[in-house]
Amino acid sequence: MQVQTETNMPSKENQNQKTLSDLYKKKRQFIFVTLTPIMVLFMIFFVIPIVWGLLLSLYQYNPLNANSPFVGLENFKELLRDDVFKKTFWNTFKFIIIAVPGNIFLTLFIAIGISKIRSRFFQDTFRTLYFLPCIAPLAASAVVWSTLFNSDRGLFNMILTNLGFSGIDWLTDPTMAMYSVIIMTLWADMGFNIVIFIAGLNAIPEMFYEAADLDGAGKWDRFRNITVPLLSRTTLFITIMTSLSYFQMFPQFQVLTNGEPQNETRVLALSIYDHAFKYFNMGYASAIATVLFLIILIITIIQLRVGKSNWEY
Amino acid sequence: MKGKVDVPYIILFFFISVGAIIMFIPYLWMVLSSLKSNLEIISPSSGLFPKSISFDGYKTVIQEAPFMRWLLNSTITSAAITLVTLFTSAIGGYVFAKYRFRGQKIYFVLLLATMMVPFQVVMIPSYLIIAKMGLINNLLAIIIPNLVSGFGIFLAKQFIESIPNDLIEAARIDGAGEFRTFWSMILPQLTPALSALGIFTFMAAWNDYLWPLIVLNDTNKMTVPLALVFFNGQHSVNYNVVMSAGVLIMIPVVIVFLIFQRQFIKGMALTGMK
Repeated sequence: MQVQTETNMPSKENQNQKTLSDLYKKKRQFIFVTLTPIMVLFMIFFVIPIVWGLLLSLYQYNPLNANSPFVGLENFKELLRDDVFKKTFWNTFKFIIIAVPGNIFLTLFIAIGISKIRSRFFQDTFRTLYFLPCIAPLAASAVVWSTLFNSDRGLFNMILTNLGFSGIDWLTDPTMAMYSVIIMTLWADMGFNIVIFIAGLNAIPEMFYEAADLDGAGKWDRFRNITVPLLSRTTLFITIMTSLSYFQMFPQFQVLTNGEPQNETRVLALSIYDHAFKYFNMGYASAIATVLFLIILIITIIQLRVGKSNWEY
Repeated sequence: MKGKVDVPYIILFFFISVGAIIMFIPYLWMVLSSLKSNLEIISPSSGLFPKSISFDGYKTVIQEAPFMRWLLNSTITSAAITLVTLFTSAIGGYVFAKYRFRGQKIYFVLLLATMMVPFQVVMIPSYLIIAKMGLINNLLAIIIPNLVSGFGIFLAKQFIESIPNDLIEAARIDGAGEFRTFWSMILPQLTPALSALGIFTFMAAWNDYLWPLIVLNDTNKMTVPLALVFFNGQHSVNYNVVMSAGVLIMIPVVIVFLIFQRQFIKGMALTGMK
């Protein structure tokens, strides 16, 4: 045995080196084989479209036309002259400013309420019921809600007339339409945030409340001095994520009102789709998309800044 | 405390219950409307409950619409997207977590940076690319652009980084190839992350409306949400028909959700995503 090992020594070292470089080669090969398809797909469907999309905003591009001249910032200048765009821009912010705080306020209180329910069974049942709308396609929910909102035969006006009130033109009254869309959006989307808030509430260590009880703190004190500060990180996260997703909301606007009446419910996401795929003004649509991109970029930067500050507890 | 009636608790319970019932009303409305007859649905005096139960709506859906085709389209595209995305996320995450190579940082930042770009920016060039490939009205147009997820790779990388290197080295010494090591050592440990990612990927694919709306316009090629909206445009007066289609679409979704509910909620807490 001994002899055999001794005699084998030089060749084994050689072999070791060989296997090392073999291993290196195998590793390189593995990286190349796995990463290439991933990065190719990623380039074709993410990186190139982003760059292309931003560049497209500088062209007057219509796929049906033979030539598409470079127009510089002309599309953006046109945006500033376009009254419908200005209205669309403010509509989007109106939607965000009402729907996001409305969502946070409602979901926080529902989450606190559910977490206070003592029976495990009812807690789970309530959570499921509030979450149920989130699993349905938004477009399908919007179809159901368009019948609920129907002025003649919809459920809401049926209830109002039975109570002796006159019906409301939920989707055709210019002052009402945006609020109707917001109501539907909240119904469809609250469940996510309720679940995240409940998880955030459960993560607050029980000892803080016990300590507060020992100090004789009231219910309101406990809420203000323990729940609110310790939930602030969850709340920030939810606010940012909800805003980002609400800026891009599309199906319910298209299905319920399609931007009408009098452009009162036209938002950026709907406008981009219409300009690109209804009128085929893809350059102009890309300019609007660039505006949306900048808004989202600013929110993301704010999130990264605030998220870095000290949150330890 | 015991034996005393806790009034605030009862009030709380009452309000949460009322809220839950309100949340459920649109579903109730959908089911009850779907059971009204063609005649009753257009009469303005119709109430919440159908005067007599009729299956007119369901009959129309089954006979007039390629309903099974729509379900099949959605199932095929969502399942393909989910399976491939899980695979590319896991293996991509593994390569980024446990290998060193040139350009690694740049690639990874690129993957992350695209996560925040709104779809509205990407959709126009993506449409042009898909059109160039000749995939308009082809289910592949839904599948191919969705096979890689920056978030999925990120999530898998986070998980894999906590797996000790010794384990991987041990597998190599035992003579396992790189792929074998990934498949038998890494993948089994990723189950919680991948099941969460799988549920969300499937749901996002199943519910997607905007991208199918852009690349599909043949009735036979439509996925479920798109088909329902299309159907709604054709039967906006007899909405018992549309509600029947809605019920048929929702039943499988609700059943699947109730089965996987626990993983679902856990996954949301785990990944903080929606």
